Amino acid sequence: MVASIAIITLDARGGFHRIASGLRSTSAGAFAPVRSVVNGIVEPIGSFLAGAVHYGAVRQENAKLRAELGALELRNAEGSDAAQALAQLKALSALDKLPYYANLTLEPAEVVNYGPSNFAATVTISVGRDEGATLGMPVVGEGGLVGSIVQANHNSAVVRLVTDGRSTVGVRYGPSPGSLAVVNGHGSGHPLSASLVPNDAPLKAGEVMTTSGLQGAIYPPGIPVAKVVSIRTGTSSSQESVALAPLADLARLRYVDVVLWGPPS
Amino acid sequence: MTPRHAFRVVVTVFCAVTLQGTVLLDVRIGGVHPDVMVLLPVAAGLAGGPAQGATVGFWTGLVADLFLPTPFGLSALVGTLVGFGVGASTAALDRTVWWLPPLVALVGSAAYELAYPLLGTVLGQPQMLHVPIADIVVLVGVVNAVLAAPAVRVVAWALPEASTEGLPTSSSTVAGWR
Repeated sequence: MVASIAIITLDARGGFHRIASGLRSTSAGAFAPVRSVVNGIVEPIGSFLAGAVHYGAVRQENAKLRAELGALELRNAEGSDAAQALAQLKALSALDKLPYYANLTLEPAEVVNYGPSNFAATVTISVGRDEGATLGMPVVGEGGLVGSIVQANHNSAVVRLVTDGRSTVGVRYGPSPGSLAVVNGHGSGHPLSASLVPNDAPLKAGEVMTTSGLQGAIYPPGIPVAKVVSIRTGTSSSQESVALAPLADLARLRYVDVVLWGPPS
Repeated sequence: MTPRHAFRVVVTVFCAVTLQGTVLLDVRIGGVHPDVMVLLPVAAGLAGGPAQGATVGFWTGLVADLFLPTPFGLSALVGTLVGFGVGASTAALDRTVWWLPPLVALVGSAAYELAYPLLGTVLGQPQMLHVPIADIVVLVGVVNAVLAAPAVRVVAWALPEASTEGLPTSSSTVAGWR
């Protein structure tokens, strides 16, 4: 017990933290091939069992998808304008939804592991230091901000999601130049909240908050973060109580992009 | 501990880490996954008594900490406490009854999953309480209760014969699990 407390204290005081990070990085690197091999064996079996168990539902979904595909094909055939078809394809593309892509260098990555702890909202991605990903770099997915890198290994990285209780993001909202606020995470499954929103703020449900990009901010400006779900004005409070939903679908993350960006020094 | 038993413990912990890091991470109910790393100190406490429970709890916790984003050493601390607690509280019980491992795994896992965020909060991580703790306690407890019997047998195989000196052990000791 004394040894545990000593390790925790040393880690918290910073001296041991670098050693702990190194150990974690080495462990992640060493365990990656094991996980890959085991997943290669287990996943087909799991898929087979899942298919067998949910056979009826899969058949129903298949029929539904076929019907939808038929309807879409019919609609495409009816559209005579090629530009219209192109616009539809663009709308389907995730890239079309991310206007901030233009100015940023991105490194695509696959989500290889969902949070190893029930007490922290993190994912592991397939890109690490060897691909240029370093500590603190933002990670985006279809729709908007996913989180930031909190541990960079050689070929993988741990991303703290915006829903994690330790996540805070400086955001901007409203008409240009926009008001400032801070979006806080409250754990997986809980809505985000915005602090520093005054009672008379020009904010409405459905409004999208984007990263502020203020000097020294850990995210570049303009990345969509979350959408306002509800606003409640307290009788005695000088601030609105704002609940938000992340724009990126964090429950079904498969592919993300690491933004190779750091705050200007 | 002889080199042979040390090797067996390493193999057991490696298998548990592999199982946890691959299969069990994909088994999610309401965003919560089972945690077999919690089961090792519980099984060690049951099979080997408080000293071996605490030792296995410390080392398995330390290994688990290598893969977790939570404070380094927290799992080791909670594992030590739970391993010791299980060993001490079950020392006088008849360990041959079939329902003891599942019951102890259920209670021990629940204690672990409650102590973990509470100690994390004490260590300056209050966000660890902003999770569905009831869901975690129930899922981890139930899954570990189901896996308890084989886990105790595996851990008993790995551990050396426990010393019962000074402990109010029942007539059936660790050897009963082998």
